[in-house]
Amino acid sequence: MRIKAKSKGDKTEVKVMMKHPMMSYNEAKKKGKEANFIVYVTAKNEGATVFESSTSQFLSKNPYMKFYFKGGKKGEEVEISWVDLKGKTKTGKAKIK
Amino acid sequence: MERRKFLGMGAGMLAVLAAAPSMLMAVNYREKLPEVWKIKNDEAAKGADMKGIEASIKAIFGSDKTEEGKVKLKAPDIAENGAVVPISFKAEGAKRIAVFQSANPESTVAIFDIPERGLPDYSIRIKMQQTGTVVVVAEIGGKLYKAAKMVKVTVGGCGG
Repeated sequence: MRIKAKSKGDKTEVKVMMKHPMMSYNEAKKKGKEANFIVYVTAKNEGATVFESSTSQFLSKNPYMKFYFKGGKKGEEVEISWVDLKGKTKTGKAKIK
Repeated sequence: MERRKFLGMGAGMLAVLAAAPSMLMAVNYREKLPEVWKIKNDEAAKGADMKGIEASIKAIFGSDKTEEGKVKLKAPDIAENGAVVPISFKAEGAKRIAVFQSANPESTVAIFDIPERGLPDYSIRIKMQQTGTVVVVAEIGGKLYKAAKMVKVTVGGCGG
């Protein structure tokens, strides 16, 4: 997972690229594989949830997201976690610049 | 027998109520509304069907009565690669935002609950297997607002 978090005045901008094939049911059928994709993403700043998204098979492969949240100071941490359809989870962290 | 059945239901209700506080803090719509993700676009309409999206809006927000305005949606007029279609959307004051399209087998793409410190301003990349309409619905002050944009897809994504 690649995370960039940047302080912009009274808010923080976060860009994240999550490594995942995001295999839709159609793609899986064609390739003879099982469908699997990220279904839920959250982001926290110093323990407080600042972003929350329930996602589907229709996000592009290695999904990219950009979002903003109120507050966040340089040097603080942003922690992003996802879970996929099979229950696999991954967490990544970055310092706000 | 009837009485026992009734008592059994009561216990079930209590379990739901006990789970409620944690659900208020974070909502995983894959778990909360598993049926939403299965609502299909009419394939015969080849990207022109809006009924699947309307049914999905109702299933998520409890109503499909939407107004225009307040939602700013950016999407390309033409997507050369349907596997990666960049879209971005903003809706000031929104508590919840959902993204749909009419191009793929099912309608719903993503649902965002906006936490207290969240800002309803997002950019994501989606797949579209054919030309279709991207729809973003935001819940603001108890009302639903909608923005829609047709995206012409020249090479479809989604392996479809």
